[in-house]
Amino acid sequence: MALDRQLEILAVCGVGMGSSLMLRMTAEDALRSLGVDARVENTDVSTARGMTPDVVIGQGMHTAEIADLAPVVITISDFLDKEGLEAQLRERLTEQGWL
Amino acid sequence: MAVVTASDGVTAGTWEDAVRAAAAALVAAGAAGEGYPGACVRVVEENGPYIVLTKGLALVHARPEEGGLAVGVGATRLAAPVEFGHPDNDPVDLLLAFCTPDADAHVGTLAGLARALSGGLTDRLRAAPGRDALERVLKEAVPDA
Repeated sequence: MALDRQLEILAVCGVGMGSSLMLRMTAEDALRSLGVDARVENTDVSTARGMTPDVVIGQGMHTAEIADLAPVVITISDFLDKEGLEAQLRERLTEQGWL
Repeated sequence: MAVVTASDGVTAGTWEDAVRAAAAALVAAGAAGEGYPGACVRVVEENGPYIVLTKGLALVHARPEEGGLAVGVGATRLAAPVEFGHPDNDPVDLLLAFCTPDADAHVGTLAGLARALSGGLTDRLRAAPGRDALERVLKEAVPDA
């Protein structure tokens, strides 16, 4: 089912202000390339637990802790790999019918 | 105005040494307090080696209340790479340390740094011949330096 609103995306890391900000920039670039209307926020894993995003992106050591937080949880290992993230987003958002 | 600094040929036996050295450069530059390097080590101890953002590069930082006095960014190049225990991105030969006095002041600086990293900044830092060149390359990448 297509979303009739902006997609809410959360980039997570341990502290929530450095690595996840880098990841947010990468995600924003990837989403722009895909033509997806989305709002991307970045935060730490503990704060993320109280949030209800559509998509969570982070390294495996963090996404493992919040695997049930969102319908789509994407694990990455390189925070700067736009093409890799774009490919994962394309596949997972298409599965949900959001793309 | 961001403080920019660099150190080259740093000898580190372990990831802790490397993180401490990278953060200590910010202390020496007056951008962070004495407790900042120890806080940066604790971030990795408590949260894992996720600060290794991409192949060979670690983003060293702690929370602003751990001693961030100004927005500062420092590049540290190691004499020999160290292992952080990251599943994909080890070993690390280059560290970027940053500090910020509050949770917002660094956002523009770090966003600029992220853009520069996507545009090949790590290659330019690795190719820089010596400490001064390292600092110059980093300065070009930081929007408000």
